[in-house]
Amino acid sequence: MKLQKIRDYADRPGGFGIIVGIAMFAFIALAGIIYPLFGPYKSDAFVGDSFGKPSLTHPFGLDQLGRDVLARTLTAVPSDLGVAFLGVTIPLAIGTILGILLAFVKNRAFVSIVSSLIDGINAFPLLIIAVAMLTVLGPGLVNVVIILTFMNWARYARIARTRAIVVMQQNYIEAARLQGYSKKKIIFRHITPNVSSESLAYALSDFILVIIVVSGLSFLGLAARPPAAEWGAMIADGRTYIGDAWWLTIYPGLALCWSAISLSLIVEGLSRRDRGNS
Amino acid sequence: MAISFMIIRLSPGDPAIARLGAGADPAAIDALRKQLKLDVNPLQQLVSYIVDLLHGNLGTSLQFGSDVFETIRRTLPLTLTYIFFSAFFALLLSIPIGVVLGWTNKASFVYIYRSITSVIIATPNFFIAMVGILLFSIRRDWAPVFGYVAEFPQNLKFLWLPVAINTLIMTAIISRVLQSSIVETKNEEFVETGIIRGVSRPRFFWYYILKPSMAPTVVLMSYMMGTMLGATVILETIFSLPGIGRELVGAVLASDYPLVQGILLFFGVITVALSFLGDICAYLLDRRVKL
Repeated sequence: MKLQKIRDYADRPGGFGIIVGIAMFAFIALAGIIYPLFGPYKSDAFVGDSFGKPSLTHPFGLDQLGRDVLARTLTAVPSDLGVAFLGVTIPLAIGTILGILLAFVKNRAFVSIVSSLIDGINAFPLLIIAVAMLTVLGPGLVNVVIILTFMNWARYARIARTRAIVVMQQNYIEAARLQGYSKKKIIFRHITPNVSSESLAYALSDFILVIIVVSGLSFLGLAARPPAAEWGAMIADGRTYIGDAWWLTIYPGLALCWSAISLSLIVEGLSRRDRGNS
Repeated sequence: MAISFMIIRLSPGDPAIARLGAGADPAAIDALRKQLKLDVNPLQQLVSYIVDLLHGNLGTSLQFGSDVFETIRRTLPLTLTYIFFSAFFALLLSIPIGVVLGWTNKASFVYIYRSITSVIIATPNFFIAMVGILLFSIRRDWAPVFGYVAEFPQNLKFLWLPVAINTLIMTAIISRVLQSSIVETKNEEFVETGIIRGVSRPRFFWYYILKPSMAPTVVLMSYMMGTMLGATVILETIFSLPGIGRELVGAVLASDYPLVQGILLFFGVITVALSFLGDICAYLLDRRVKL
């Protein structure tokens, strides 16, 4: 019965990709939660010879200090995916609300000033700004979330404003207004749900970008610092030894690809569903 | 310009403290603030910054004590060169791939192509670069692991791998957009007219298929070159190329505030110029595009 439902879902356009994507993402997210709790090795414990080759006891091998690479790769999940998740959801919320409020503003001059500010922020390459702002803020994962919020709200505000202007002209908003609902209720109960579908779709594809930016900054040594388990930092760490010990770089990299690909499968499946072809 | 100034000035935190460390001597921090002209109010800061800029003065690097403008002029050409070549090769590859896969009716080919490009797009460039180094520099001796020689024939040996990686990523994105806009163009009525009128093959593909589909690709191209400029920060660090991206990372790690600001300004100018150029090219290709 339940299985049949999943099978039906998979048969619809893009359904297969969505299900595979969700399964892949759930797998790595669960592994990242479960392993640090029940796994045999700690991410910062020295458990064997340095540069131990991948073996049955240590499937991903050991790093230059004899730490288990599998443990480190999985322990990094919360700091990678978690930070990226915050870096997407916080600007999503702030940007969407600001965008909707902006759609209500009638003052032309104010709107054009804010719009050009939004365009200006959007025009800059994210990575460059992030790197530059970290000079002032100092490195760290919390600061990365602050920067992502500071930079990414603009995109969501742009999407939300464009959508909200369309939604506000719909008859059901007019109906709600005529029924005498308060402005607050109209915004949160009637406009926001209709605006957010588009923002959420964008947020999902932004998630991939943010994962890459977070790990890229860690790779440069600007987000998570080396002793911490984080994929970008682990790859940067293993870079020096890549000739002798490829497993230090390749496994965290594969984990990174795995999460990004799972998300891109979901995104593609959803966009294919929207277009309605297979 | 004002935005690049604002973004870095308005971000919370004090560059003088970042440079000297939180436990530094207060007198030294004050002196540095005075040197960076941070001791006056923000509006005066902006005015003095713009006045300096109009004199062509971007300030002095804290790290090297040299002129910021000189440093940028030394490092920027290399970065621009390899970005330009990557974009050129990417366009050269994308056009045939996009046209063939946009024109074909074989769904399985398109499916395989889209899967491969998704994987490339979803993979961070530094990981592609590491795999590239592992395969070509360590397993085979085709490229040096890192370093750079500025003379012409030798430098190709150092540059081909970064350019190839950039090209791969750009081709994946650009050919995809081109392919989907060709699929859209294919359904337009003038294409049918072209077939019925019996226009010669090369002429047909150029005027009826490629030209109307190019506008979104060109706009994306200019945007992508801006993004690539951002990605140089990582690629140049990996390959130790003495370009502007590595200079920026070095400046950030050393809290070299004037140099960071100067480089940011240049990135801003280049990005704006690129997107302007992209819009103009798109307009020339397709007059329906509004500027």
